[in-house]
Amino acid sequence: MRVLEVGGGVAAAFATRWLAGFGADVVRSEGPRDALTVDEEAALLPGKRRIEVADDALRQLALAADLVVEDGRPGALAARGLDPGMLRAEKPALVVTSLTPFGQTGPQAGLEATNLVAHAAGGILSLTGVMERPPLQNGANQAWKLLGINGFAASVTAYLGALISGEGDWIDLSAQECAAGMLEFYGPRSAVDGLPGRRLGNRTTAIWGLYRCLDGFAGVCSLQRQAKALFEGMGDPELLTPRFLDPVERMKDDKELARRVERFFADKKKDELLALGTRLQVPFGAVLTPGELLESESLREREFFDTVETPEGVARVPGRPFPGLGWRAGPLSALAADTEAVRHDWLGGGA
Amino acid sequence: MKRLPLEGVRVVDLSMMWAGPYATHLLGEMGAEVIKIEGPRAWDNVRTLFPIPEPEPWDASFYFNDYNREKKSLILDLTQPRGRELLLALVAKSDAVIENYRADVLDKLGLGFEALQRARSDIILVSMAGFGKTGADRERVGFGPIVEQMAGLASLTGYGDDGVPYKTGISYGDPVGGVAAAGALVLALIQRRRTGRGCAIDLAQREVMAQMLGEAFAAASLRGEPPVHRGNRHPVWAPQGVYPCQGEQQWLALSVRSDAEWKALAGVIGAPELAGLSLETRRARHDELDARITAWTAAQEAQPAQDALQELGIPAARMLDSDSVHWDAHLLSRDYWDFMKHPRMQPYPQPAPAWRLLEVNPRPRRPAPMFGEHNREILGGLLGLSEAELTELAEAGVIAAAPVGAGVG
Repeated sequence: MRVLEVGGGVAAAFATRWLAGFGADVVRSEGPRDALTVDEEAALLPGKRRIEVADDALRQLALAADLVVEDGRPGALAARGLDPGMLRAEKPALVVTSLTPFGQTGPQAGLEATNLVAHAAGGILSLTGVMERPPLQNGANQAWKLLGINGFAASVTAYLGALISGEGDWIDLSAQECAAGMLEFYGPRSAVDGLPGRRLGNRTTAIWGLYRCLDGFAGVCSLQRQAKALFEGMGDPELLTPRFLDPVERMKDDKELARRVERFFADKKKDELLALGTRLQVPFGAVLTPGELLESESLREREFFDTVETPEGVARVPGRPFPGLGWRAGPLSALAADTEAVRHDWLGGGA
Repeated sequence: MKRLPLEGVRVVDLSMMWAGPYATHLLGEMGAEVIKIEGPRAWDNVRTLFPIPEPEPWDASFYFNDYNREKKSLILDLTQPRGRELLLALVAKSDAVIENYRADVLDKLGLGFEALQRARSDIILVSMAGFGKTGADRERVGFGPIVEQMAGLASLTGYGDDGVPYKTGISYGDPVGGVAAAGALVLALIQRRRTGRGCAIDLAQREVMAQMLGEAFAAASLRGEPPVHRGNRHPVWAPQGVYPCQGEQQWLALSVRSDAEWKALAGVIGAPELAGLSLETRRARHDELDARITAWTAAQEAQPAQDALQELGIPAARMLDSDSVHWDAHLLSRDYWDFMKHPRMQPYPQPAPAWRLLEVNPRPRRPAPMFGEHNREILGGLLGLSEAELTELAEAGVIAAAPVGAGVG
């Protein structure tokens, strides 16, 4: 599978990252120099070949590809002579995936956007944080990542369709739409009752929340079917009465229950709570940092991290996203390092 | 007529709650025939998570409907031998199985990958337990918020002045894991097309979520960099934030990426004396600039403010909430909301496929299935069972048309 990544922001780079690891020949045509930070390059570019070519050669490469993924502004690809419709007419099996904040059409299609701005338009921002303070973005450019992961999955789906029927497609993915359709129950509930969801901070209910513990923060997410085991594990006999066991009754005393959970968590360490969750088979979690996860025994056993040489040294970054298919941990190429090799391999050296 | 890319693909869906159902919802939107399996006593909790004043609330949940459209419903008691036999008979006629049970459940049911392979040698299995089926954390259980905490994202999210990490306002780990699982299943179909072999994919939702913050792992491993709570600020550009506008909970998000954009914004907010501030100074005086911007936005309506800033090339958008997103002129113009009929609910705006394959143009086709709606079609039609056998199965409680002992939760 040949994949051409054009534009090179986080969204397109993310969409093609896994394809490179799973064996596709992914060629990245560089965008602006500051499109990615050095840390993003370490995470998103391993295994890709990096080129810089003029627009006419880029067009030839697009026609030699099975999939083109781009994250430029609507119309930017066409302005470079790579109009998706024309490419598709010339090569019907080609899949073109366009990743933008607001999509290719509509009154806001051409708006300027950053990760925060795109995030604000999709609804998730409105639900994160607390009501007393501004809505809060989550970390690590999630609007672009969400767009990118949808770009990956939608692209391979259209590519499979092309293998079956010989017909590719042009995929118009918008960051706003990728988020707007996944607002958990808040989305459909508001659609029905017209009331916007509120920012509930770290607690949806007392037994679905995040609490301070002895060495950081830990969480619990208990369904009704797990509530009895949770309350037994907390060792508080009053919790084993209908006042707290009945899901409807429990909501009347949710604040009181939250205080009890808070006290229960306060004098325990993260490891202790995690072990308790495993024993009770109740979902307990802990807020772990990337540094802690780099030391995770479970992730090491599952060979999750790849090692990549970068100009700053050796980085460890997420590698195989799921075991079951072959994965190769590729190197991080230098800017434009593969231009001639790609010309040769894809165009026979003729461009 | 162009076909949806997954037409002709049949998926047996053992998943429940949100992560797995979101994956199979996407597959269904792309044309796959998704057969959702629930048990008479083990139904998808989302059907009954909230009290619904209906005689059969499990068939009238808007929450269930949004993430289970494009599926068929088959009720099978997998704790009974006959239920498992029928499942394996269905697997023999299917391309893939997907499940998000706890890591050990499928094997304990006697329905692990080897059993599925005996039913169909090239079957694809996508398992999506929170922490995977191997490794020291395999016995842990988790939902989306737990996944987010355990993958590092919560450690990167916070206002920055109180040391408190925040979870995303939705169970973010679920749909993210779902998108990845849908892609994983399709990749396995591509591989099978080339090699003739099926495979078992052991997707850990925690690992998918950790992929969403890859640069933080690079920073931690290269420089020992700890997580930073930035609030709504940008690591480089300034100013950036979410600012209050006129009206209750009306907000404007904006970013300034350059000196030119700052100069333009300074003019708009009535602060021409600050127009020449360098990036370094803007970063150092971010609090002061936030106050000046807020003084302007607080007197503006969000949409006109967005329009005014965008006119100057400044990235800005009014924040949409879970209600206003349904009435956003841009999304309406793109025909994103669909008012598909449901047998038990009034029409309401439901999202159309976000994966816009412009030529094949996928649109919503069927609402979420009633409990056991397709028992007869699948068992009688696809598997060829007689009426007498169907009656016998119902009497034995192997199949059902309503949950047994349904309550809230």
